[in-house]
Amino acid sequence: MSAGRDDFTIAIRSALLQKGNRQKFSLLFLLCLSIVIFFLDTNPNKFSTGFRSIINDGVYRVSSLASSPHNFFHFISKKITLHVTTYEENKILKSELEKLKTKNLDIQFLKTQNKDLLRILNTNIEGNSKQIIGRVLLDKNSPYLKSIIINQGSKEGIVKGSPVLDGKYLVGRVVETNYLSSRVLLLNDLNSRIPVTIGEPNEVSDLSGAVQAILTGKGKDFPVLEYLPDTYIPKNKLPIFTSGKDGIFNQGIPIGLTEFNGDKIIVRLFSKPNQLSFVNLKIINKEKNKF
Amino acid sequence: MNIVFKNFRRILINSGPLLLLYYLSISDIEVSFENTFQILSFNIQLIIIYYWMLKDADILGSGHIFVAGLINDVVMGLPLGVSPISYLVVAFFASYVKNVTVNTSLFTDWFTFFLAVFFSNIVFLIFLINFTEIQVKYIDIFYNSFFTILFYPFFWLIFNIYKTMMLIKQDG
Repeated sequence: MSAGRDDFTIAIRSALLQKGNRQKFSLLFLLCLSIVIFFLDTNPNKFSTGFRSIINDGVYRVSSLASSPHNFFHFISKKITLHVTTYEENKILKSELEKLKTKNLDIQFLKTQNKDLLRILNTNIEGNSKQIIGRVLLDKNSPYLKSIIINQGSKEGIVKGSPVLDGKYLVGRVVETNYLSSRVLLLNDLNSRIPVTIGEPNEVSDLSGAVQAILTGKGKDFPVLEYLPDTYIPKNKLPIFTSGKDGIFNQGIPIGLTEFNGDKIIVRLFSKPNQLSFVNLKIINKEKNKF
Repeated sequence: MNIVFKNFRRILINSGPLLLLYYLSISDIEVSFENTFQILSFNIQLIIIYYWMLKDADILGSGHIFVAGLINDVVMGLPLGVSPISYLVVAFFASYVKNVTVNTSLFTDWFTFFLAVFFSNIVFLIFLINFTEIQVKYIDIFYNSFFTILFYPFFWLIFNIYKTMMLIKQDG
């Protein structure tokens, strides 16, 4: 019995402490080092933040380079698929174009009306923000985090929380900034929470009547709406906009359309999170927040 | 010249698993097929680490496993150190199994790999849940682990063929 316990201890000690012919460090030393690095990273200070930022920038660039052959094949296969489906897609697009042309007139009218109302209220809905374009460096589909890496960082004035758009549609927000790169948390990530407004077409110009909710990522393709009023009756295909209640995003950035799915309301995003190549970043002017 | 070429080829073949481990950690190649099959994702890195630590620990080296883990953390956006801990736990299990067994078969490897993945995930979750604010879906981690264990025999077979190839090249 005692000998068996001794064997067990010896085997564990040997596994933790032994070094092979080409191994310079024991597993125990590396495990301890990993734990120290983990606690340094989770309790950031000036040194560790700067160090992590340099590592991030370096690894993202190398990673982007290493992924280029794989991305090239992915690009080619997408192009081939696109060519095969172009004919059918063209037919659908033609009919959609006709519908959009008629809608465009309504939008023009609403825009003019909105401008007049804003002039009367003497407010500037756009704020002091400008936009820059960022290229997606990495888009690793991790089972833990739905995020992308872009090639714009604090050098260009990106700050944590900056909204990230695909065209005019919101796709996420910046959660980590380095000098030359940033990480964008996508709307469908489990950690993503965005205050939104559910606007019916006739309510867009009258936000007081619109319903407020929180758009919550679930780690799947479609985020869901939470914290809706008890009396709210769900409807399909209602547009979702940012409400601007968090004080970070401007109000009225389009996100997607509602879809009633069983007992929850999912949001079909206007922009597919896993199809991003370039994104627009809204640079928030810090002066704006000074009172 | 011929000797130099032979040596280079031998070094390249011997470094194959290590290069694969680094490449999977640094590139954005998806080992998740969530877009096609909702639940299908697996962790090849754990399979590589376990197999090669069990069969020939000098091929990978624990220092390289540690660095590959750090790179994986940066690319994935996880706190630095989580993946190295998880990888090193798997390496520890492999090293322990190697110390206490003489002859191993696919089934003994597969069973001990199950334990290694189980404890590796427990340690991973303990660190992530208690010391960070990152939320994770347990069901996704469960599916990831399940398919990693399920695909182990397939990779075991491929790596066994590769290992035989390495031995032949060494003899030649």
